[in-house]
Amino acid sequence: MNPQGPVKTQILKVPRPFRLESGDTLEGLTIAYEAYGELSPSGDNAVLIEHALSGDAHAAFYHEGARKPGWWDPMIGPGKAFDTNRYFVVCSNVIGGCSGTTGPSSLNPATGRPYGLTFPPVTIRDMVEVQRLLLAHLGVKRLRCVAGGSMGGMQTMQLFADYPFFADSFVCIASTMRHSAQQIAFNEVGRRAIMADPRWNGGNYYGDVPPEGGLSVARMIGHITYLSERMMQEKFGRARKGKDHTVVFRPSFEVEHYLDYQGVSFVRRFDANSYLYITSAIDNFDLVSSISQVGRFRGEGRARGTARDAMKAKKGLVVAFTSDWLYPPSQSREIARFFSGLGVAVSYAEIATDHGHDAFLTDTEAQSRLVGNFLASLPA
Amino acid sequence: MKHTHIDTSLIIESMIEPQSRVLDLGCGDGSLLSSLIARKRVEGTGVEISHDMVASCLAKGLCVFQADIDKGLSHWEDATFDYVILKSTLEVIHRPYELILEMLRVGRHALVTVSNFGYLANRIHTLLTGRMTPRIRAFSPWYETSVIRYVCMDEFFEALRRSGVRISEARYVTPFGSVSRKKPLFANLFVVEAVFLLTRTP
Repeated sequence: MNPQGPVKTQILKVPRPFRLESGDTLEGLTIAYEAYGELSPSGDNAVLIEHALSGDAHAAFYHEGARKPGWWDPMIGPGKAFDTNRYFVVCSNVIGGCSGTTGPSSLNPATGRPYGLTFPPVTIRDMVEVQRLLLAHLGVKRLRCVAGGSMGGMQTMQLFADYPFFADSFVCIASTMRHSAQQIAFNEVGRRAIMADPRWNGGNYYGDVPPEGGLSVARMIGHITYLSERMMQEKFGRARKGKDHTVVFRPSFEVEHYLDYQGVSFVRRFDANSYLYITSAIDNFDLVSSISQVGRFRGEGRARGTARDAMKAKKGLVVAFTSDWLYPPSQSREIARFFSGLGVAVSYAEIATDHGHDAFLTDTEAQSRLVGNFLASLPA
Repeated sequence: MKHTHIDTSLIIESMIEPQSRVLDLGCGDGSLLSSLIARKRVEGTGVEISHDMVASCLAKGLCVFQADIDKGLSHWEDATFDYVILKSTLEVIHRPYELILEMLRVGRHALVTVSNFGYLANRIHTLLTGRMTPRIRAFSPWYETSVIRYVCMDEFFEALRRSGVRISEARYVTPFGSVSRKKPLFANLFVVEAVFLLTRTP
């Protein structure tokens, strides 16, 4: 059913221990999720939405009293690209995150204290396996589509490649099959900023003031990589805020104020340790090597031939943004080529925009058209 | 001199083996691909530079790749397709020679349509009016048309001879809408448009 009033993030408590790719086990895993629309009796009309680094389960509609809707609201809803009149749309917070799903800021049931750095390392595949638990609990038998941008695209590819029989199609936006040295470098600077903050204290800051300075610097660096140079120039140029620019080393340029604001508002909603864990998961992600591992304990249809046959009936849509220099179109074309090679009918589209990597959150009209057309044409 | 308009799509369709793998370069809104999939059960992929056209192809459920074919076909490996089609597109290509070789790298065959600039009606039009035939410029004015190549039949044959590419089949559209498999006499004068199935000389 489509929500009439405000939506609420739901919590699923997993009764069994959860084994991560590292071999570690988590007790008392909780999964925060939202679901919109109605699941068909045969459980085959679900769409899984994957969020990016700083996203959460709240993908669409409004929370009680909120002024802003979920992060991909223009894309999800009745009559929208991910049409909640047709699909049962699910989005959950990733493991290692800090918006309801178990992560380093959660209480370790064994000690009664937050995990901090005792939290096991997480991978993109772990995120996907947690979602599989959630979907099984919700009664989803098959996915019509799995979709996401940036880190969400990584989860999308991992799920699609690990479970070729489970999803009919995928939509992967502004993402990559593996981080380049430059992409790892930017993430590392962000992590170092957090760890250099004395308040970080080896990840042990819960109950005290968190490393806000470090985390906000990490976010500022991230934000620079999300925008295009041209957009920054047009939006801010060399404009200054306020009249008194005599105080040295205080933000005076518009762009400084903007980044400062982004940093400050981020620390209010994000956990520094989660930032470390999730960016590491992103850096370690390498799709091709992950699906060719010998002795994998999860996934299906690995036996050569069966997976390939399954892929033959599948469709994919890869989208890139012309001004995205963090996840440039060349990396998206590589994704398209890889999945075409597996036999999937993959389409590739490029959206012309100045909004850089951030376009996957802002240029929703262009994405809606592509995704809407793509989904509407999927065979029944 | 009016000639009946013949849609080369139907000619192309008749030249393609059922259930083959097809790449359509400059596929536009995907109508050729759609009919090839519907009637010849081909496994088809389109390449298109225009984002709007890509969106239309997606709506038709087609597999489409947004790219500029003038930048080459490096996205595809050797011998990925049975046929690579270049319909009403040769005339807008900056490096047509390289492209045809690329088409024969990624596909066993290339299907190319060539609109004959040397066709009698074009000559008469130009002679009498002193202006370019509208059809040759795809009915757009000179400052808007994407057509940059004006190809004559004979010139096309000459270029192929030099390139080591063989014409294994041809369909010549002659005035009044007839289509012949054999090269007509004075082809450079009497052929409106032609479809060639090209193969690399072994």
